[in-house]
Amino acid sequence: MADPLVLGIETSCDETGIALVRGNELLVDAVASSMDEHARYGGIIPEVASRAHLEAMVPTIQRALGEADVDLSEVDAIAVTAGPGLVGPLTIGASAAKALSIGLNRPLYGVNHVIGHAAVDQLVEGPFPERTMALVVSGGHSSLLLVEDVATRVTELGSTLDDAAGEAFDKVGRLLGLPYPGGPHVDRLAREGDPHAIRFPRGLTARKDQEKHAYDFSFSGLKTAVARWVEARTDVGQEIPLADVAASFAEAVADVLTAKTIAACHRHDVDTLVVGGGFSANSQLREMAAKRCAEAGINLRIPPIRYCTDNGAMIAALGSAVVRAGVAPSALDIPVDSSMPLTTVTV
Amino acid sequence: MPVLALDTSAAVAVALVGEDGARLASRTSDERRRHAESLAPLIAEVLAEAGVDRADLTAVVAGTGPAPFTGLRVGLVTARTLALALGIPVLGVPSLDALAVQAVSDLGLQPGDEVLATSDARRREVYWARYRVVAHEGAGGVPVVETVAGPDVARAGFVAQAQLGEGTSEAAGTAAVHVVGEGAMLYPDFLPVAEDAPLVPDATVLARIALVRRAQGLDQPSEPLYLRRPDVQEPVGRVVPATGASA
Ligand SMILES: Nc1ncnc2c1ncn2[C@@H]1O[C@H](COP(=O)(O)OP(=O)(O)OP(=O)(O)O)[C@@H](O)[C@H]1O
Ligand SMILES: [Mg+2]
Repeated sequence: MADPLVLGIETSCDETGIALVRGNELLVDAVASSMDEHARYGGIIPEVASRAHLEAMVPTIQRALGEADVDLSEVDAIAVTAGPGLVGPLTIGASAAKALSIGLNRPLYGVNHVIGHAAVDQLVEGPFPERTMALVVSGGHSSLLLVEDVATRVTELGSTLDDAAGEAFDKVGRLLGLPYPGGPHVDRLAREGDPHAIRFPRGLTARKDQEKHAYDFSFSGLKTAVARWVEARTDVGQEIPLADVAASFAEAVADVLTAKTIAACHRHDVDTLVVGGGFSANSQLREMAAKRCAEAGINLRIPPIRYCTDNGAMIAALGSAVVRAGVAPSALDIPVDSSMPLTTVTV
Repeated sequence: MPVLALDTSAAVAVALVGEDGARLASRTSDERRRHAESLAPLIAEVLAEAGVDRADLTAVVAGTGPAPFTGLRVGLVTARTLALALGIPVLGVPSLDALAVQAVSDLGLQPGDEVLATSDARRREVYWARYRVVAHEGAGGVPVVETVAGPDVARAGFVAQAQLGEGTSEAAGTAAVHVVGEGAMLYPDFLPVAEDAPLVPDATVLARIALVRRAQGLDQPSEPLYLRRPDVQEPVGRVVPATGASA
């Protein structure tokens, strides 16, 4: 029998994502974004995003169905982001998913957005091996997950204690006078600089942190160090070597992320690493991960960038895995959870 | 062939109503902060109770507010998506219209009488609209009202002064303005609520209004009546858990 056709709905932040997945095959991935409306505020405005989700929901579903030439009646299950994310936006997706579940008389699965960032890679490179390490790095998260079964067994080994990697890049971008969101701009600038020009601190790598925070991250100290360095230069009237600052900062982030991740792979005897989330677009991280994984004999899987940002495909991919694993559907009264634990795959 | 009606402008109200306006089943929940959890199960319940096959529905009727944003959107996105799944239209009815229409029957109002319908806008304001009764019973036995002012959002004291004070119809010698709705209940000093007045929109009434308007061929858009701009002072970092500006 053919695998079930799963419709995925993602609305945790500013992207309305709708996708259709059968097994590990992506049929369509439609996204509507309200990013442009937020750019002038220098951050996501939840109410602006929520209004946009309401208006985009039905048109985006229709666009996805049209592009895939699929009728809603063919859908076997509905998966939706239940958290983590912004409550207002999450609520729109969850409500739409429940309505589809009632209207189509098909089961509903509320799933975890962050785990979706890892699961989407199954659409690209096929099923995960029995044990997979997932590094999910985005605007809101920097987490290391041990994935024994993406539908049922995910363990959180560590997370950022303060800023996420993308967030740190955005803040440093602002500091260096780059447009919002700063991440991609810092990346571009860093490619022209010397990554070893300035030695910025590596958070939570000191011996004393190794015990409790072996796989946790901290980027706020790094951000402060960059700010101080820039300030000190400015005070004495020296020019700021922007590219070198960006490159040295990016190097520090990539160094900590990859070093801890590879240590975790060794420690847990895992030979496959999946990197997901919008920050995995970062070229310094990609380069260093590729080099260090090759040295360590770890199979590195990073999906193409369009799958790394928020989209419906990641939710449909996780939903598809969950349905095939025979997990019980969610009830119609499930809440959304802005701070859903990363060990919770489904609700 | 019934319609499903839902309103999330105050609490949650759901009803299944026949083509002739008869209530087949209804449910309400008093939950004010968990619309997204309460609504879908109530829809499933009314369908089950009335033994109605979802494929037999001819429209989904939704209250369009004005109302606090998050709850209002739960109703509208549910109505629109359910209608899409069933291949039927969405009919939007301002939630305050349902309060005004119900007030006509509940208070025995006559043509020329006026109703000030209110709901809680939080932030120490009320949503309001003023209506004039056109007919005690119109098509299908449903009272007919017309909007004479609003909908808008303001402090209760301001609304009282502008809509009930001097220079309004009362002073002009016509009938009194009957204040209804739970918005006014919060500010009795400014907005005395009529005895026996309806306090929250009834989904059955909402459905009846939509049926009459549908028969008249009127356009019934499902655009939300926010009446306020989004708060934009404080962008959240990124995924900071926040309820946002939910009014
Ligand atoms: N090339 C890049 N280099 C550095 N940072 C980048 C790059 N591309 C994107 N980013 C950063 O990645 C973040 C966006 O990622 P994503 O869209 O996955 O985040 P999010 O969805 O807001 O967060 P979450 O998935 O945790 O809810 C932003 O902080 C952005 O600046
Ligand atoms: Mg994301």
